[in-house]
Amino acid sequence: MPTATRSTVDRLDQPSAYFLGRQSRKRKNDRDRDDREDKERTPEAVSEDPLKDAATLYVGNLSFYTTEEQIHELFAKCGEIKRLVMGLDRYNKTPCGFCFVEYYTHQDALDCMKYIGGTKLDERIIRTDLDPGFQEGRQYGRGKSGGQVRDEYRDEYDPGRGGFGRAVAEERAKEEREYGSGK
Amino acid sequence: MGDYENRGRGGRGYNNRKRRYRGELRKETGGPISGLISQDDDDYDRRPQRRRYEEPPVVKIRKQLLSIAESLKKPEDEIRSISQALIENYDDEELRNNVLDLILQLTVEQPFKIPFVAAVILVSNPQKPEIAKEALVRAASDARKYLEDGSWRQFKLSLRFLGCLQGLFEGDGVFTVLEELFSRAIDLQTASSDDGLGLELVKIILLTIPYILSSSALGFEQQAASLLEKTDIIASTPHALEALVDPYPEAERPREPVLSLLQKQLQTEAGRDWELACIPRVWKLPLGEDGQDPLATATKHAFPEIPIPKSVNPGPKSLFPEVFFSAYADQEVETVPPSTEIASSLLRDALIDTINILDFNRNATARFLIDIDCYFSTDTFIKRATPFDRLKEVAGDKSTWKPEDVAVDAVFSQLFQLPTPEHKLVYYHSVLTEACKIAPAAIAPSLGRAIRFLYRNLDSMDMELSFRFMDWFSHHLSNFGFTWKWTEWSDDVELPDIHPKKAFIIGALEKEIRLSFAQRIRGTLPEPYQPLIAEAKEKDAPDFKYSFDETPFALEGKEIISLLRKKAPEVEIQGVLNLIQEKAMGVGIADPLIPSTDAYVTSICAIGSKSLSHVLSCIERCKERLLAIGPQSETARRQIISSAMDYWKDQPGVGVNIIDKLLNYTILTPMSVIEWALIDHNDQGRNLAKSHIYEMVSTTVFKVTNRVRQIVAARDQEGLPDDQVNMLNETLVREREEQKIMFKVIEDSLINCAHGTKDEIMENSNSVSVDERLLRKWPERWLKVFRRKFAVEEAVIGDAVRVQVKAED
Repeated sequence: MPTATRSTVDRLDQPSAYFLGRQSRKRKNDRDRDDREDKERTPEAVSEDPLKDAATLYVGNLSFYTTEEQIHELFAKCGEIKRLVMGLDRYNKTPCGFCFVEYYTHQDALDCMKYIGGTKLDERIIRTDLDPGFQEGRQYGRGKSGGQVRDEYRDEYDPGRGGFGRAVAEERAKEEREYGSGK
Repeated sequence: MGDYENRGRGGRGYNNRKRRYRGELRKETGGPISGLISQDDDDYDRRPQRRRYEEPPVVKIRKQLLSIAESLKKPEDEIRSISQALIENYDDEELRNNVLDLILQLTVEQPFKIPFVAAVILVSNPQKPEIAKEALVRAASDARKYLEDGSWRQFKLSLRFLGCLQGLFEGDGVFTVLEELFSRAIDLQTASSDDGLGLELVKIILLTIPYILSSSALGFEQQAASLLEKTDIIASTPHALEALVDPYPEAERPREPVLSLLQKQLQTEAGRDWELACIPRVWKLPLGEDGQDPLATATKHAFPEIPIPKSVNPGPKSLFPEVFFSAYADQEVETVPPSTEIASSLLRDALIDTINILDFNRNATARFLIDIDCYFSTDTFIKRATPFDRLKEVAGDKSTWKPEDVAVDAVFSQLFQLPTPEHKLVYYHSVLTEACKIAPAAIAPSLGRAIRFLYRNLDSMDMELSFRFMDWFSHHLSNFGFTWKWTEWSDDVELPDIHPKKAFIIGALEKEIRLSFAQRIRGTLPEPYQPLIAEAKEKDAPDFKYSFDETPFALEGKEIISLLRKKAPEVEIQGVLNLIQEKAMGVGIADPLIPSTDAYVTSICAIGSKSLSHVLSCIERCKERLLAIGPQSETARRQIISSAMDYWKDQPGVGVNIIDKLLNYTILTPMSVIEWALIDHNDQGRNLAKSHIYEMVSTTVFKVTNRVRQIVAARDQEGLPDDQVNMLNETLVREREEQKIMFKVIEDSLINCAHGTKDEIMENSNSVSVDERLLRKWPERWLKVFRRKFAVEEAVIGDAVRVQVKAED
């Protein structure tokens, strides 16, 4: 019998599959590395849940045009905001559609998962995910051209996030040019 | 029942999202047996071909139990089928534990299903009395635990489960507990007149009675009647704090406390032979071959021990009396049960519990709201989504109660619960949003009628609630493309800004803009509303007043901003500030620190105008100088507020945010904010109608009260050493005193303001104009809100102090 009683209805304040997947990949990598480098690694260090007291959220699917003030206005409905870090294009330093919101308490972050994740901001459904905490450098997009990875290869047009994915747009522009030059 | 297209999916639609987590859950629980509802769906989705194996009985029964009453099937058939499977497999220990645990878990997590899961136990009893015996042991142990923890909701639901099983018991059954509860309630009420716990106990008694009397048990009418006679004295006496939590203090109709309504409704129902029409009687079995009811001849059980301790645990929350709220009370066709009907309380109570228990999954909550008609007797409601104007024609002589109105009304009752609802307000926003997304055709028109009711009655509504309404309304619209039929309120645009309706329109638009942007919102508004959105709101950044040469100290202002921009040394900045002060003294300005502060703070705001983080980093850089202003001059400290609010006058929301951060830096004090808003800048009381002024004052007050509560929480941690407890106690005394002074200042300035407007009116005119009458209302409305806040804090902290004193004894 499972010891902890699961609720009869799912909870919305759980970390996403994305986070859990990354965590288990990371753990696996750590393990591989540790096996090679350090056999005396303590197992407890790994089993500690990095989200146990998390007061930070990753917020995704924002429009590039959504301002800090708008984010503040919505997210403050779950509690006072300690810090708000906008996600920026690595090269242009312009907003690229995500941010980190840090509350003062873990409970506020959980409430935000339950009550705000999946609702609209600036007329887009936004995504929230519990996050172990902001670190310098994480505010920048990790995509090839400076934005988020998802905006590289997106093949549907999203006016709030710079149109087509950049790689796709590039491809199309190239085709255009080649067509124009008579190929 | 049963002809709705969405019933096939009933209660299951939201489970689809579980698929994502499935892998993890399986891994954790080590097998397919878990609290999941939708494993079948998952399997089905993955493998469209026929299943090759029968799933184990435990999985099957769990699934049936979890979805009980949700589907198209007749609940009676579901109940009998579950019961049969349980009887057949009862020897399997794992299955037995699993199923009984689940039944009790459903009791406290999905209260709509209590009569149904109780019926499973009930109809199993003739064949297999062991099932009931074991279930009672577990239910009683749960109930004792809830009692010990002061978890009153769960205790109530456990009792409801037992109440539905009254037919199982020898003797008086649940009534023995109810009688004991009542004697505790009497003790509590005699001890203190503002006791809330006693009321809660009486409410639990009254809400249990209907489930006993609609159960299979016969012949308890007399006991119920005599209990009702006794509860009358407590339930019908007005509570001391009732007036504080009245949602419509200025309405003409009398206030309706939930408890006294419930008492009257039950008395009425007693007079109708306890018809209790809305509770489903799903336990009915066909008569046996001998013509006997098998339930009546089945084995009886002793009622399990549930002793009520002499001194009951009040639980973690402070309990306040409740006043009944409905947004559908005054319609020409009844769409919700009238407050004279017991159905009104039974439906509302089950809904509120469902809503508040399931805050961790708003989609599930919304699904329950939409499916409410599945859980009550067939004729309780009219068909879903019946348009309001066709109710009479569709209903004929049957019920005109709209399931979606009843459901939405319950959410509003929580959103407008005073002093505060159980969860953050945004939870209730999100439930309404989801419900609207799941069934727009049914929910949206109901919301529309509720909005019109709320708007129509803004004049008599408690002011805090009118701001909650504004906040919900703008947030809700932001989720649905900001569409609202503004034309129907067009005439009200002509009203003076201090009219509650006009103030609502202005405030709601302001909040919409804060969630979006001015141009977008302008686009959603008809012509008459256009002037309400100033052109200046569309500017990228507000003007820097010192860039206009006619502004006093224009030169110095420009100098300061450029020094700040290039991060010049502090001495250079000080030089310019000195210059302003000297000039100011020259022209006879009493406090020369005021114009220099103005130039300094305005420059900070302008440099930080790009975003909140820009202004924050600028404040951070300048904080030493800012911190030094207050101690030199209180008026200069308040000038900081004036400068920020003046710079952001077209987007006051940004200004309010900055003030909030300045408070955190202790550059401002709570008192300075309050005095700025209620004394210096009250604009003969006109500012009291502005939502951002209320926001500024109430967030400031919250900061102070929250701090006091945190000190209490820190002190009450377990295992804290004595010296730390003592230290925290000293801090508590000091902070409580400051809190008291703050509330006193609010009170005094509002009273002054009320007198001020009166005096002015006396002087200025013989006849009191509409405008003046409106003006006079605001300080009174504010007073009501802040007196309540003070009373609540006193009660909450008072409780905490009392608990500690008790613990020391």
